[in-house]
Amino acid sequence: MSRVADGRAADRLPPHSTPDRTDSGLWTATNAFRTVGWTYAAVIAVLDRTEYRHPAGVLLILAAMAAWTLFFALFRSRPPWLMVVDLCLPVAFILLTPVVDTSERIQDGAHTVPALWSAAAVLAWAVWGGRRAGIAAACAVAAADVLEIQGRVTPQTLYNIVLLLLLGVIVGYAVEVLRQGRRELAAAIAVEAATEERERLARDIHDSVLQVLAYVQRRGAEIGGDAAALGRLAGEQEARLRSLVATGPAPQDPDAEQDLRALLGPLSGVGVTLTGPAGEVPLRGPVARALAQATGAALDNVHRHAGDGARTWILIEDEADTVAVTVRDDGAGIPPGRQAQAEQNGRMGLSLSIRGRIEQVGGTVQVTSAPGEGTEVEMRVPRENTR
Amino acid sequence: MTADRTAPVPGRPLRVMVVDDHPMWRDAVARDLSETGLDVVATAGDGDEALRRLPAARPDVVVLDLQMPHMDGVRLTRYILSAHPRVRVLVLTASGEQSDVLEAVKAGATGYLVKSASREELLDAVRRTADGEAVFTPGLAGLVLGEYRRLAVAAPDPGPNPRDTPKLTERETEVLRFVAKGLGSRRIAQRLQISHRTVQNHVQNTLNKLQLHNRVELTRYAIEQGLDTET
Repeated sequence: MSRVADGRAADRLPPHSTPDRTDSGLWTATNAFRTVGWTYAAVIAVLDRTEYRHPAGVLLILAAMAAWTLFFALFRSRPPWLMVVDLCLPVAFILLTPVVDTSERIQDGAHTVPALWSAAAVLAWAVWGGRRAGIAAACAVAAADVLEIQGRVTPQTLYNIVLLLLLGVIVGYAVEVLRQGRRELAAAIAVEAATEERERLARDIHDSVLQVLAYVQRRGAEIGGDAAALGRLAGEQEARLRSLVATGPAPQDPDAEQDLRALLGPLSGVGVTLTGPAGEVPLRGPVARALAQATGAALDNVHRHAGDGARTWILIEDEADTVAVTVRDDGAGIPPGRQAQAEQNGRMGLSLSIRGRIEQVGGTVQVTSAPGEGTEVEMRVPRENTR
Repeated sequence: MTADRTAPVPGRPLRVMVVDDHPMWRDAVARDLSETGLDVVATAGDGDEALRRLPAARPDVVVLDLQMPHMDGVRLTRYILSAHPRVRVLVLTASGEQSDVLEAVKAGATGYLVKSASREELLDAVRRTADGEAVFTPGLAGLVLGEYRRLAVAAPDPGPNPRDTPKLTERETEVLRFVAKGLGSRRIAQRLQISHRTVQNHVQNTLNKLQLHNRVELTRYAIEQGLDTET
């Protein structure tokens, strides 16, 4: 369960908090783009230096751009405030262009002072937050562009806006795909590592703890008295530990197939024998769990009604069309008529906890019993409903 | 099958060998067996040691643990039975590793018992193993039932030679299901109105068919891989 919670928590984390090699690669590319963008803006400024209204102002803006380019590249993490500043700066510089440049030049379609440099913010936002962030940043820069030319949109402006949006969408999408793949890879590696670790533990535990517990159980039974009670306790723990190391992690997807054998494993123990095929018995999650719960209910029933010292056998059968679980005890049994009567009165756990669960997943339950002959509960679920 | 497996000489105590890598268990099992008059002729801590001591010890029954370092119980069973077909193998395991148990039984082990079984159950199992009687616990019955069904699914259409895939008769299935659900052979005989001996035969048959099939498969595999030319 904690695994599921962890997985979701990881999904919720903002991307900037999980830096790694691919991320740092993306940021390096962004910084390179920003540097190229600054060089481009600087070259234009040098070429047009005589035509500006306030060349000193242009110089100041270029200096600020250079400073930010350097600061962003050197800053280690990507907190939200940094990203907000990263978008506000190009917007501000675009809006400052009419102040430092002449309106004639702007009407003639001259570049804004930051020019290509402002696209770096769109790229940075797409890398930071995926498609949506990319589009949002592109819209902000585009809005600033339109404001700068006072709404007189030329085909060239429109073309630039489309390019900005495309940049935001494509890079954002690529980044999302990349991150998703990386998360899946990490999850797969984690599952593999956990499986390996469990196998190692299982080997160790088998070689030591299980052997000793089984031995204590056996010797205890031989000595009798208090020792027998201790032995029984050891036996119970042995069964529990064995099923613990044999069971894999619960799947994240509740509908995913689960091995019925592994689910029923914890039910076996002193006086309860679990038997079935050697391999896994995969069933759709809800069906497997319904069978396991109904089996548990049948066992409870044995404990309550079969009398002291009754032994129980659980048989799993994996047939072509159905999967069957039979719970049989050698206890007192149910007198004829008692069970039907009890079910009518709704008293017995059998009707709801077993029949209800099995019928809900399309299965059938058959109960056979006679006084002194024990009770047999056979639960069958169809295969076609389970795959 | 029975021709090369003669019953132990009557009047002489059963010769038993205990193979377990766990000293505590090895000693406990050996002590339990010798205290009741059986002759524990050798013990061994791993497969290699067991194979070295086997010819001189000449046991009737080898009681062995499945999980051992270097050579696991399945391979050891195979080696023992190919070199000494008269020896009978009883698998004693602390593990829930069902597939290993099944493999050991297919390799020719006559029975299997969990280590939590009582001393009486162990003695009974050793005696029955020596008699060539399958020690058919409910756990083993469930495994064998499952294995037949797996084989049936793996080869749904009977091929040109239907004997390729072993199948259970209806009666055998019935008997195995009873055993798996914990009924003793006398109870089963009562329910089906057949003799106790017939029940035993049905059970033994299901195992023989599986072991035969396993040998045929191994041989076929060896021929396909060209392994037979090495000998």
